[in-house]
Amino acid sequence: MKYNLELIKNKRKIISFSTFLILLSLLGILYSTFNTSYKKPINLGMDFVGGNELRIERVCEEECSNLSPDSVLENLREISSSKNFINNIKLQFQNNNKLISIRTPYLSIEESNNLITNLDNIIGPLNYESKDSRLIGPKLGKRLLTNCVTSLLVSLFAISLYITIRFDKKYALFALLALFHDLLIVFGIFSWLGIILSVEVNSLFAVSLLTIAGYSVNDTVVIFDRIRENLKLKKEDYNETIQLSVNESFRRTTFTSITTLIPLLSIILFGSYSLFWFSLALSLGIIVGSYSSILLAPSLLLKD
Amino acid sequence: MKRRQGWLFFIIFLLTLSVYLLINYPLQLGLDLQGGSQLTLQIIKEEGKVTSDELEAVNSVIDKRVNNLGVSESNLQTLGGDQLILELPGEQNPLVASRVLGKTALLEFRTQKEGTSSDLKTLQLQRLSIKELIEQYSFEEKNQNNDNFLKVIQDDLKDIEQELNYSSTSNDLYGKLIEIKKYVDKEITNLFIKTDLSGKDLINAGRRQEQTNSNWEVLLTFSNSGGEKFAEITKSIAGTNQLLAIILDGESISEASVGNQFASTGITGGSATISGNFSAENARELEVQLKGGSLPLPIEIVETNTIGALLGSKNILKSLYAAISGLIFVGIFMIFNYRILGFVSVLSLVLYGFFNLALYSLIPVTLTLPGISGLILSIGMAVDANILIFERIREELYEGNTLTRSIDSGFQRANSSIVDGHITTLLSCFVLFLLGTNFVKGFAATLGIGVLISLFTSLNCSKTILRFFTTYQSLRQKNLYLPKNNFSN
Repeated sequence: MKYNLELIKNKRKIISFSTFLILLSLLGILYSTFNTSYKKPINLGMDFVGGNELRIERVCEEECSNLSPDSVLENLREISSSKNFINNIKLQFQNNNKLISIRTPYLSIEESNNLITNLDNIIGPLNYESKDSRLIGPKLGKRLLTNCVTSLLVSLFAISLYITIRFDKKYALFALLALFHDLLIVFGIFSWLGIILSVEVNSLFAVSLLTIAGYSVNDTVVIFDRIRENLKLKKEDYNETIQLSVNESFRRTTFTSITTLIPLLSIILFGSYSLFWFSLALSLGIIVGSYSSILLAPSLLLKD
Repeated sequence: MKRRQGWLFFIIFLLTLSVYLLINYPLQLGLDLQGGSQLTLQIIKEEGKVTSDELEAVNSVIDKRVNNLGVSESNLQTLGGDQLILELPGEQNPLVASRVLGKTALLEFRTQKEGTSSDLKTLQLQRLSIKELIEQYSFEEKNQNNDNFLKVIQDDLKDIEQELNYSSTSNDLYGKLIEIKKYVDKEITNLFIKTDLSGKDLINAGRRQEQTNSNWEVLLTFSNSGGEKFAEITKSIAGTNQLLAIILDGESISEASVGNQFASTGITGGSATISGNFSAENARELEVQLKGGSLPLPIEIVETNTIGALLGSKNILKSLYAAISGLIFVGIFMIFNYRILGFVSVLSLVLYGFFNLALYSLIPVTLTLPGISGLILSIGMAVDANILIFERIREELYEGNTLTRSIDSGFQRANSSIVDGHITTLLSCFVLFLLGTNFVKGFAATLGIGVLISLFTSLNCSKTILRFFTTYQSLRQKNLYLPKNNFSN
């Protein structure tokens, strides 16, 4: 089974496609920064801004009765008096009305307990064994954000350093270009997800970006290694050799990506909900990463 | 050949050891898997950094308080120089812990300034009425308050504010009530002069129910020198109209007169009681705080995570499904594409799983949800190395080399690029582990350990198993290594 990717012919298409994706991502980031209620490049979740998140299941005989979030909010309003609190509350029913999830501004443990008691009165009985509650103070949120951004920068710097030492300048530059391309696109996709579906990013998103960075460079390194090896033998001309090398390593690069994607898909399908967006970000990163390693990075190496 | 057999025995030995470890040292599960609460306590310091001595001092006070609370199997650790993490496994309500831990519990004994009796009386009355207003407010709030009552409370509050000549700045009514109460407390405290007796002079604290009514009182036992100081102080004000105030965190919780009969010696015996209308719960909390001593720096609870036990066990089940299905599908993919080589990689993946888990129980690594996702993700990455090697072997076979030679050079030539490729992932893990939060550290640890172990299993274990297979003649046909249709051309 030989692969025959026509890299030389399609160089323009590949580069235009990537440019298009990058512009789309930048558009999302800009739109998110200026045209949304949160005014940030990406919809920052509770980890970074603080707040209270509660998920709890109701105990129902057979099927849980249908409740509209508005009527529950109305009831909560009568019980709790703080205006700021009631105005910023988000409430959702999931799983056939069984699971209720609530987001509010930051609460003390005492206030959060009161909220749960109130809920129990309105829509109870609740199953306390199924409770998942997170309270994050705004101070800690800011700290986490700085922490994540620092980790991201430090690790990008370390990877860049490693690549520059290991390869000569041209290879290092293109490998890094491919890396930033991957990160930007995943970031852009989540900007858009934030705008359209109000998906929020938490600290695990930063972790996924870091993991993508490590993994994506890895893929590019494998292909560049092959190119260097083949160029030393110098059988054909420069461009042909690059195309040949890509085709030679196509199988193993796609295969390694597939075997990494399979476990991630298992987490998306079967794993806990708290890992859903994390695994999705990682999967997207790996898909974009393989694309950029196989098609984009080598195309950049081609001579006109 | 002999050396390879040595490896085989070594691997079997490691496998046995892993199984032994896993049976005898069960894995530690994080709170998101077993249910429980986790509190992050932030030490507040206005200027400068928290020193390691201060961190240690706060840590020891919190530790004492947690122990005195009687929380079972709790775990307290420091994080990042100025934070503490307290884990309370099982169905334990974090509310009591948060109330007890969050207070500084600075206990002071103060004597009243001369000639302030009438001022104090007015303030005490104001304190009483504001307390009543707060109670009324809470009562009305619970019973679907109507606006009339709120208005009454508001008017009463205004009267008090006028008397105090102070106006509150909070936005909502409750905030105003609390603010005024704090102001009154401060004014009362200001009428008293500090003495050198404080919470540091206590050696013990206790509680008992008062004989006359159902309220509780808190008993203080002083050290020898503390007892002497107490006697000295009480002697100085005995028989006068100056009162002795016991002040906790700036709020006077008891003001009492000292009778004339103590004028010669003061109150001796080295103990005192505070009877300030305590409920059983409040008395217990104060007892715990006083026993643990006051915090050298105030703390704030900045994060609380609570996960129900049922949800925890569901999370374990879901992770198990994800891990096993991931393993099975990767296995199918490998065997489909690489035949016997794929089977070898599945065997080394199983070994990989055992070694990983055994190492978790040995180090020990506490398994959390992100940790498990790191482990599951590393399954995929562990196979990566095998794929690189197998592709090399296939190439060698296509070129017409013998099986043994192909296998040898496949492993040899893929070696360097595998080690290289894993370095960037390890770099990311390392940074994450250094800078990440607790939550993130779990992921970095399992992914990092996974990548390291996979170097051993996919290089050494696969090679050893493959060598073992090829000693059987029937397993040496080339078509077991390459799909038939490809092999023919």
